[in-house]
Amino acid sequence: MTTTPTKLMAHMIAGFPDVDTARKIARGLVHGGAHYLEVQFPFSDPSSDGPLIEKASQAALDRGFKVADGFAFMKELARDYDVPLFIMTYGSLVYARGAAAFCDQARDAGVTGLIIPDLPPDYSEGLFDEGRKRGLAITPVIAPGISDARLEILRALRPEYIYTALRLGITGSATHLDDATIAYLEKVKSIGAKIIAGFGVRSAEMMRLLAGHADAAAVGSYFLEVYNNAKGDIETALRDAAAGLLA
Amino acid sequence: MTAPAQPQADTAERQDFFGNFGGRYVGETLRPALDNLDREFRTAIADPAFQAELARVQKTWVGRPTPLLFAENATRALGGARIYIKMEGLAHTGAHKINNAIGQALLAKRMGKTHIIAETGAGQHGLASAAACAKLGLDCRVYMGDLDVRRQRPNVFAMEMMGTRVIPVHSGTMTLKDAINAALRDWSATYPDTHYLIGSALGPSPFPEIARIFQSVVGRETEQQMAEAGEEIAAMIACVGGGSNSIGFFEPFLDKPSPRLIGVEAGGRGPGPGDNAVRMAGASRYGIAHGYKSRFLMDDDGQVLPTHSISAGLDYPGIGPQLAALGESGRIEFTAASDEETLEALKFFARQEGVMFALESAHAGAVAMRVAPTLGRDQAIVVNMSGRGDKDLFITAKALDRDRWIDYLKNEIAT
Repeated sequence: MTTTPTKLMAHMIAGFPDVDTARKIARGLVHGGAHYLEVQFPFSDPSSDGPLIEKASQAALDRGFKVADGFAFMKELARDYDVPLFIMTYGSLVYARGAAAFCDQARDAGVTGLIIPDLPPDYSEGLFDEGRKRGLAITPVIAPGISDARLEILRALRPEYIYTALRLGITGSATHLDDATIAYLEKVKSIGAKIIAGFGVRSAEMMRLLAGHADAAAVGSYFLEVYNNAKGDIETALRDAAAGLLA
Repeated sequence: MTAPAQPQADTAERQDFFGNFGGRYVGETLRPALDNLDREFRTAIADPAFQAELARVQKTWVGRPTPLLFAENATRALGGARIYIKMEGLAHTGAHKINNAIGQALLAKRMGKTHIIAETGAGQHGLASAAACAKLGLDCRVYMGDLDVRRQRPNVFAMEMMGTRVIPVHSGTMTLKDAINAALRDWSATYPDTHYLIGSALGPSPFPEIARIFQSVVGRETEQQMAEAGEEIAAMIACVGGGSNSIGFFEPFLDKPSPRLIGVEAGGRGPGPGDNAVRMAGASRYGIAHGYKSRFLMDDDGQVLPTHSISAGLDYPGIGPQLAALGESGRIEFTAASDEETLEALKFFARQEGVMFALESAHAGAVAMRVAPTLGRDQAIVVNMSGRGDKDLFITAKALDRDRWIDYLKNEIAT
């Protein structure tokens, strides 16, 4: 096992707790060393998220978050930072605009890729096609237990990235890297995409565990906890947390 | 309603769609569970042994067939078509919900699952699931919005007495839709030994089909009972929340040109946003939520909007995909009844027939009162009393006899 940590995809929520603070969170994460930013657009019914993210999403919506605000935020981030930006959200937001229009707006905002867990390839509403036309990395979300047949469907899409859970279930619970998980990651790697592994990463030790098995670790709930527990300056707290994972 | 946001995918030939609606819009984490359920369900319903076991339990435990009542006094009072009431609320646990609950619980057991998850709004589906699980020896946990837990204490009590764990959901609006999200989330981590017993004809494929097939017994009985009464049916009327009672009631007639099939949505306090749960007869949009595509009360960003109805069972922002498709094809007519009309219908049938409708079903009763006088005396309509009204006592008594009810509650607290 190598001791170099894997790259960090830092997750945050657009408009949470408010736009100004979200800017500080982004700055903290990038200055702390995040290699990618994954910005979640809040949805009213986020059934793939844990309670922490769901609550934060609802708080942003209660403050009046609109998808147009989300794209404006992405545009700012693209202007200010040199890290690839991903939007994570749910199919409802994509479908309401139409996949083509959503992809147009994402591309115009300088976004690298989209992560939409409930629009899998066979129910994508045109997302994969429209994304490809615009050079967006439409990033499938998978989990252990996926059948070989479905892995083949993904292989045919030739995605640039694949986002995978490392245990069954939702964000925010403990993850251990056992032999079965390592074997699973090797199988996914055969598709040829960069692997973003997530769901439960919360320590430098886990980042190092992933090194050599995944190209990046997605970290979300942990940063939300850091934010929720931060006593002093938010930006510093997030910067230190991100840097801590990469130590 | 707003025009679709984009051209529709070609879904006409797919088994997992009803016209434009349906599908399996879930993350890959849930995919193995749904694919497996789909296979197992089709094998089970084709198996005579499974059907025989289901029929036996329906007869001895659910209390089937439920009666069909000729509402003679109501008919006379309204002066039009002869009104029949399918007394589905006389089924065990007080509503049609038990048909789907026991059907899916038997299926789960056949699949070797030992645990059941269910979601519930008012508590009727939770109660039906709790009863089915107690009967079949399955471990049951029910997700229920915290607001609903507080509003529906009697059902929580009954579920717990049957050995079910009721888990309050504190996210979102703390109602049914949030309970569905929590149940889906749980299931994505537990499906190897757990079945998600969804309570209505909605959610990702194959759930809408499963609920319809297990509820179709209501329609088949009605068809037979009306034939025995020598009646030709002019119209059938059912309330529509998610849609399990209506789709089951209408099922034998969906491919036929008659009778008229009328679905009644919750008109609530009025037409304003957040004041009703009118999807088909109102300003809904095409959307994707809770694993399926249908018509939802959503804003232009695709965010699910709050809803209101006096009946918790109709207080839901989406509608089962097959009902949405049948509404668009014109096979099912949709209309709405307001909270106020619903209470009037509740009083009318109680007074005329000695029958107390559940608030959900009283929406259908209200429309029966509207439709009957427009038809001839030689015609017959059937309204589905999908549930009985005992469960609503704390709502109806407060609405109709407030002072004395509050006095009663105060006395109860004092003793």
